[in-house]
Amino acid sequence: MRQHDDLDAMDQGDEVLERVVEELRRPLRVNAALFDARVMDEVLRPPSGLRARIASLTQPRTFRVSPLVALAAGLLFAVTAVGSVLYVLPSTPHAAPRVAARSAINSPIVQFGFAAPHASSVALVGDFNNWDPKATPLRAASTGGVWSVEVPIQPGRHLYAFVVDGTVWRPDPAAPKASGEDFGEPNSALTVADPGMR
Amino acid sequence: MRDPGVSPVVELSDATLVDIVLKGESEAYATLVARYRDRYARFALHMLGNREDAEEALQDAFVRAYRSLHRCGDPARFGSWLLAILANRCRTAGGKRTRHERRFVSAEDRHYAIALDHPAEATAWREEIARALARLDADQREAFLLKHVQEMEYEQMSVVTGAGVSALKMRVKRACAQMRRMLTEGEDAPTR
Repeated sequence: MRQHDDLDAMDQGDEVLERVVEELRRPLRVNAALFDARVMDEVLRPPSGLRARIASLTQPRTFRVSPLVALAAGLLFAVTAVGSVLYVLPSTPHAAPRVAARSAINSPIVQFGFAAPHASSVALVGDFNNWDPKATPLRAASTGGVWSVEVPIQPGRHLYAFVVDGTVWRPDPAAPKASGEDFGEPNSALTVADPGMR
Repeated sequence: MRDPGVSPVVELSDATLVDIVLKGESEAYATLVARYRDRYARFALHMLGNREDAEEALQDAFVRAYRSLHRCGDPARFGSWLLAILANRCRTAGGKRTRHERRFVSAEDRHYAIALDHPAEATAWREEIARALARLDADQREAFLLKHVQEMEYEQMSVVTGAGVSALKMRVKRACAQMRRMLTEGEDAPTR
């Protein structure tokens, strides 16, 4: 028994301490999106001066879609998506999503990432593309089995999922599950903030 | 066949992610944050006794780790290095509170209870554990949590705490004895 191995400094069979350890090992529920957003907000804070901050607000951002960083994009997307709900109008304006830019039609661009090392195709489906598996295919990175795509999405709340190999419907593991289900399949929820609100 | 929906969090090693971040892809740090957030939040909560202090200490630890990432001697052990920073933050935060408040956990029990995964089952037993933990010497509490909750080996604990293995074994042993006594005999006196 692993637990007994771990309790080598205790008296074996010490029921009280085993119960203590069992209790203390219970998972802790953290508001992941909010916490991660706060940390990444600090981490990505421009290093110097008001000028740099103003520039970061007024200039559109461009994506860096190197294969390596694409792996982290799925999680960062969750931070951005949920953070935009929980972090509306933060006191520091640069808390805006790092994965968002403006498209030509002025919709924020959202990068979706999905790890599927053995898949032959991955597609994004959602209410923004009429749940069409052919509309928004993801591209595979050269290594790591990570698929990604950037899509302009209008501000608001959206439901989406990934379709793997044309048949397997998957929610985004890095995003909150939607409370409702469309087509009997699990979906993920995304809230895109209005750029004009920042 | 492997589950195609596996989270990216498990795909890259700590060393690889640290390397990516150091090469300028700061966003990749989010993956490290996600990887260690929950388990270290639990450690901080048990060290400090309330959620707000725990999250503040953990956030500060993540940011400090990022800013000094180039000094992480062994990126493959980023987790231990981060935990050392967090443990230090918890000691500092706990020390300040001890000086200023010198409190026992009764006022914080509610925070502690709702922070756990089953708030409806926040029993007197859970509160007793929180109270007993809070009454341990901070070094003993830290050693006990690292050994039995974080499930670390003494050698790892030594790296994290800077204390020797013998001293850590003694702290764990004493912590176990104190916890057992407080929880079975209803001892009310603080150990400090």
